Amino acid sequence: MNKDIYILGIESSCDETAAAVVKNGREVLSNIIASQVPIHRKYGGVVPEIASRNHIRNVLPVIDEALAKADVPLEKIDAVAVTYGPGLVGALLVGLSAAKALAWAADKPLIGVNHLEGHVFANFLNDADLKPPFLALVVSGGHTALLVVKDYNSFELLGQTRDDAAGEAFDKVARVLCLPYPGGPEVEKLALEGNPLAIDFPRAKLGDNFEFSFSGLKSAVINYLHNKQQAGEDVSRADVAASFQHAIVDALVQKSVHAIKQTGLKEIVLAGGVSANKTLQETLAKAAERAGARLVHPTPILCTDNAVMIACRGYFMYVNGEKSPLDLNAVPSLKLG
Amino acid sequence: MLVLAIDTATKACAVGLCRDGKILAEYKINMGMTHSEGLMPQLEQLLQRTGVQKGDIDLIAVSMGPGSFTGLRIGLATAEALAYAWQKPLQGVATPLALAYNLPVQGIVLSPVLDAQKGNYYQALYEWQDGEVKELQGVQVVNKQQLLENLAVQGKPAVILGECNKLEGMELPAWCSLAPDYLRLPQAAGTALAALKAYNPQEQNGIFGLEPYYIRKSEAEELWEQKHGKQ
Repeated sequence: MNKDIYILGIESSCDETAAAVVKNGREVLSNIIASQVPIHRKYGGVVPEIASRNHIRNVLPVIDEALAKADVPLEKIDAVAVTYGPGLVGALLVGLSAAKALAWAADKPLIGVNHLEGHVFANFLNDADLKPPFLALVVSGGHTALLVVKDYNSFELLGQTRDDAAGEAFDKVARVLCLPYPGGPEVEKLALEGNPLAIDFPRAKLGDNFEFSFSGLKSAVINYLHNKQQAGEDVSRADVAASFQHAIVDALVQKSVHAIKQTGLKEIVLAGGVSANKTLQETLAKAAERAGARLVHPTPILCTDNAVMIACRGYFMYVNGEKSPLDLNAVPSLKLG
Repeated sequence: MLVLAIDTATKACAVGLCRDGKILAEYKINMGMTHSEGLMPQLEQLLQRTGVQKGDIDLIAVSMGPGSFTGLRIGLATAEALAYAWQKPLQGVATPLALAYNLPVQGIVLSPVLDAQKGNYYQALYEWQDGEVKELQGVQVVNKQQLLENLAVQGKPAVILGECNKLEGMELPAWCSLAPDYLRLPQAAGTALAALKAYNPQEQNGIFGLEPYYIRKSEAEELWEQKHGKQ
């Protein structure tokens, strides 16, 4: 039998400082997250410098806790995997610097991980049967993309958003609806009380491809609220939230189904912060089933930023013999695929 | 005692090794590359060329600022991770104090300055007396005029060092001069020696939760406080 492989994952790309230990790519031994959400709430969004200041305060304690909770000493770790992009540069640099020094000091390989690939790999931790090839719908605050995971280390981008990411649209709509940060879950909560068919917000017509566009939808919501306010009419905020969410989910599901039919793949996974959205999960599960595919999505704790997914992605890179040099820099706009 | 020193407070990336107060090696690069790219390879080469083993290092010294926020965090995150992995103590050093070691000359006031952006400087004042460096003024955020006023009050010849490139061409009084370019920026020697001086094995608070000496709050916090008042 092969030796067990232990990967330490480190993540600091936005407002969560996280570390985790994963065994053999699939077994979570620890998952520590120091969240800064309450700190940034009063500013209505993530403030990069404040995020970086909290990361430096938290990064070593979080790593220490992850190793202690997993009961795996640093010497027993096989490689250190760390997010090097995409994300906020100053935030990324804290986790990356700690990871590089730790790897070098303990004579372990360093593995730089693409945060978005990490989100996709979070699905391996939830579903033991999941194996490539499969489709992935990545939906987060910074990205909206469809890709084919051909095998553990090769991806093909089918298409992505031309403008705003889905999560960005959620956040902006939350702001105009005067909901607190982070907006996504708040819009979802409010939408539960509204009628998704009350307002027919426009969907971008992009033709027979795998691209998305959400800036028109976002503007339509803003204009709708503005016009109602000008006319002195009452607005059902819940209806706005529900109808907006309906429109966005509709667009995501439509393109996903198109991709299922086009590629003939039998599995589709959700990845990224917006994958926690229940309406998206349920609607996509049904539509995928009708198209002959099964939906896999991460558990709620693995939908948002975490280091488990980074360790998992790092594991598959490690067994593939990939490692990063010590001059690895943060790449804030690192691409998918 | 073998000290490994790191200074990434300015654009220069400086690392060094010092045994019992004697500098074994210094390695400084000031070519404008990012510390993220430069620091680790520099540390690796430092150990390779000196033949020093990782396990032989007794103390990690790191420059805590003030200075570039991002640079300081890269240095501190690196130093903390090294101390953690090797289970060795970490000693932070104020960057201006480390700079005072660049010019250990009695009878003059030393004024290390670091860029605080928007025409401002972090300034502290020191003087060497009988082989010891004495702090005359703690770190203040000053503009060019206040910088000179703080010096004038001391009534002694003064030398400005640190990030003083933007002060070049400025008219200085006869009793005040800029350090030559090669003595201005932090060298790991100063960081190591100042750390050795400050290190007290009985007063170790661990390596967790350390923060660079930012001095200034983030811009977002300053704006928020202007709008809502301090909390």
